Amino acid sequence: MFEWLENTSVALWVGESLWAYPFMLSLHVIGLAIVVGILSMLDLRLLGSFKGIRTESFLPLMKFAWLGFLVNATSGVFLFTSQATTFVQSKPFLIKIACIFVGAILTKVIQNKLSKSASDGSMKGIAVVSLLLWLVAITAGRLTAYI
Amino acid sequence: MEAFAQSIEGGVIYNWVTSVYWLWPLMETIHFIGLSLLLGGLIIIDGRLAGFFRGVNIAATHKLLPWVFIGFGLNLTTGVLFFFGDPMRYAINVGFQIKMVLVVIAGLNALWFWWKINPVMQDWEPDVNPPGLAKVIAWISLVTWTGVLLLGRLIPYVSTG
Repeated sequence: MFEWLENTSVALWVGESLWAYPFMLSLHVIGLAIVVGILSMLDLRLLGSFKGIRTESFLPLMKFAWLGFLVNATSGVFLFTSQATTFVQSKPFLIKIACIFVGAILTKVIQNKLSKSASDGSMKGIAVVSLLLWLVAITAGRLTAYI
Repeated sequence: MEAFAQSIEGGVIYNWVTSVYWLWPLMETIHFIGLSLLLGGLIIIDGRLAGFFRGVNIAATHKLLPWVFIGFGLNLTTGVLFFFGDPMRYAINVGFQIKMVLVVIAGLNALWFWWKINPVMQDWEPDVNPPGLAKVIAWISLVTWTGVLLLGRLIPYVSTG
């Protein structure tokens, strides 16, 4: 299946076009800054930093964070197709995807609690795990180029 | 810059960065975490200053600044080490050169904010729609830092000049 994917015209375009791969990488780093940037600030707030900002203030920012997520899911799929068979066997890549998957679910949980003003003791725990997941996702993502 | 780059090659830092095989990927990872802190904080601070997210108390957004500076410090440190580890590659790279110009512009823009906007900010209501000059400065910041990000990522793909 991944061999088939690697030979689709989209995958060949990403792999062979002079600008498609760098273009997708550029989108991917901007999306990364938006997603991890906003969510790490939210996690730090939930952990007790900059108390002057109300936690509910982050709700309007969440749309923007999810937009960044969409940018990275899309550019990520394009990047993946060009080397699908290599990526599915890469441990750092699989760890990265697992972290993003769980991180996205936790983001939704945090968002729901904030919009219902239902912050409780569990929020700090969720924020710590969320922050760690994004750190591991970045680290593992960078290591896909090396391992 | 090329002469400076040549003088680095063979030096203590150059030898250290190039001899420790795990250092480069570790520094790249730190550079990515740093850019997330820097951009994450600035999206909120400059986004609010540009007139978005009016529900956020504008004075409170500046409590994020320490994290922005931590991100900048991480990236300045790792960035200098990248340069010392491969000076000839960066010195002649157009992407790197423009990136550095943009960092300087972003820095001057931050000084402009500090000089013109910061002193009058304490008189603003928490839900203020900032004046035009503040919005201009906020947009310059967002655009230049996005440019820094783009050019940094494109360094391996652009030619020398």
